[in-house]
Amino acid sequence: MTFEIELSGRLRRVSVERARPGCYRVTLDGAVHEVDAARVGEFGLSLLFDGDATTSRELQVVPSGRIAELLVRLEGRTVAVSVNARRTGRGARPEVHADGEQQITAPMPGRVVRVLAAEGDEVAAGQAVVVVEAMKMENELRSPKAGRVTRVAVTPGMSVEGGRVLIVIE
Amino acid sequence: MKILVANRGEIAVRIIRACREMGLRSVAVYSDCDRAARHVREADQAYHIGPSEAARSYLRIDALVDAARRSGADAVHPGYGFLAENAGFARACRDAGLTFIGPSPEAIATMGSKTAAREAAVRAGVAVVPGTERPLDERVSDEETARIAARVGYPLVVKAVSGGGGKGMRTVDRAAALLGAIRSARSEAGSAFGDSAVYLERRIQRPRHIEIQLLGDEHGTIVPFVERECSIQRRHQKVVEESPSLAVSGALRREMAAAAAAVARAVGYTSAGTIEFLLDEAGGFYFLEMNTRLQVEHPVTEMVTSVDLVQWQIRIARGERLAVDPGRALTPEGHAIECRIYAEDPDQGFLPSPGLIRGLRPAGGPGVRDDSGVSAGYTVPVHYDSMIAKLIAWAPSRPDAVARMARALGEYQVLGIPTTIPFFLWLMRQPAYGRGEYDTTYLDRLLAERTAAGSAASRSSFSALSSAEEDVVAIGAALDACLRASGGHGAQAAADRGRWLQTARREALRG
Repeated sequence: MTFEIELSGRLRRVSVERARPGCYRVTLDGAVHEVDAARVGEFGLSLLFDGDATTSRELQVVPSGRIAELLVRLEGRTVAVSVNARRTGRGARPEVHADGEQQITAPMPGRVVRVLAAEGDEVAAGQAVVVVEAMKMENELRSPKAGRVTRVAVTPGMSVEGGRVLIVIE
Repeated sequence: MKILVANRGEIAVRIIRACREMGLRSVAVYSDCDRAARHVREADQAYHIGPSEAARSYLRIDALVDAARRSGADAVHPGYGFLAENAGFARACRDAGLTFIGPSPEAIATMGSKTAAREAAVRAGVAVVPGTERPLDERVSDEETARIAARVGYPLVVKAVSGGGGKGMRTVDRAAALLGAIRSARSEAGSAFGDSAVYLERRIQRPRHIEIQLLGDEHGTIVPFVERECSIQRRHQKVVEESPSLAVSGALRREMAAAAAAVARAVGYTSAGTIEFLLDEAGGFYFLEMNTRLQVEHPVTEMVTSVDLVQWQIRIARGERLAVDPGRALTPEGHAIECRIYAEDPDQGFLPSPGLIRGLRPAGGPGVRDDSGVSAGYTVPVHYDSMIAKLIAWAPSRPDAVARMARALGEYQVLGIPTTIPFFLWLMRQPAYGRGEYDTTYLDRLLAERTAAGSAASRSSFSALSSAEEDVVAIGAALDACLRASGGHGAQAAADRGRWLQTARREALRG
């Protein structure tokens, strides 16, 4: 899977490939890192980087409440990070370079207003698939890529937490 | 003894902890939005006292006295803020047959008026900052006001007689700005304290704010403690406190402690109180005001003296004799620093950031104390002060305490809302702070310099990361998205739930 990560005003491409259970080969700006990743609770992420020496880093990743934005905490500091903002943001220009299964998640707590795709539907990249209302605004969530809807996890009227999986596309 | 805690947040939790340690029952009070607050959950009993607005709940004397009566409490602890320095509240408690855990209403009233407090200090032979002995008369002419100000000398400070917390306070550098400053101070004081009276005080250049904690019992014993240094202030609000002060020698400490005790004795003071002084560059000190209550920063004193001030407040209220060794109270062991953790975003000009705390892991380990009023799942309300916790670090020496504080700040996790933790991490790294070279103007100057220097640069956040750290965050964010996409965590939880249900069904069939 490839992600566009925006951090400190800089857009970076990160591709993640599963090497073996719990271990990932991550390519960032052309450099390859072997990373052992373990979830800790709802928001925690423990990373072990394999380099000359194994480096341990702990992060907490929390949805910010804004579309496609995460707050990432590292050693007492917290920064805002956008993930695939250009693909999922309102009025965003969809781009197709996502590989594998994609989940559409609620970017913030809200209420599902409409579900625009059914299981088995073929959807185009950038096609709106679900509408979530939050803070009195309707937000269209779009498919990051062309594919088939394998799961619809919500129905109209349902209240959802930020980060909740709404639709899965393969 | 059963104690009603007429407060909320971390100080209510602090008092409830003392009650539990002493085997006393505690009663919490809460407003609408505080139903599930930590102090309510940790107390033995809890009473609803009104809507979320403080004026209709935590500031309602009748509702508090009524809750005390209904709960069968014998005593009331006011904490700090709200009604802690309200003589009327202390009197209402006394009239209702409740023990007020604090000084007498008379002492509160005397020290609550800044001009009356200055007179009391002068009577006790303690120097006050030169200024007008009485509130400025609103009827005097502008010319007369200008003459009075010239006698005090510039630069000067216009201060609210009933003031506190930097409100109703204006610094005036030249005569031309005097009348405007008096007008705005009067109007601010009127709306904040219901009393628009102001007076003038000469401004001490680059002063340090040094204060002396003391305890007084009902048998005439007054014990002053080692000083607290509270010069790290943002817009006249303390944000970091420590004890002892690098600016105070042993001889000066004894002098300041004796002066503080003399002022307290002059007003027949009982319970915990604090005398605040300004210390000038030449080592001269001037009485500023007395706080007739427990203070936010009391833990630093507790950490370097091993005296539990809240427990002693309760013992004194029960009529016990003070049994604190005066020599020990003035001899700090090691060094303690406190950072006030606010729900404020330092990157947005310290804008309040109320909201849901999604995750919380306080710092721990040797020498670390967390006095917190919140927990994960709690929504910090918009109605009250934004302080959510105090982090205190103790170590044998000041450099060790600074290093320990930085370590603890790095550990402290508050998820979901911005806090001042990144700002404190930055402050702990400032060379002048590390050397202890600062006065009450230091932090505002430092922040102004930082804003001026950082306006052009993009890395002006207190949470700025090194490029290696940015790589870690980018990789972490991608892995987080990837793990969520593959449903690792959720799928595991669902599988666990399935297995649990299966087992439960089997057990049910067997039964």
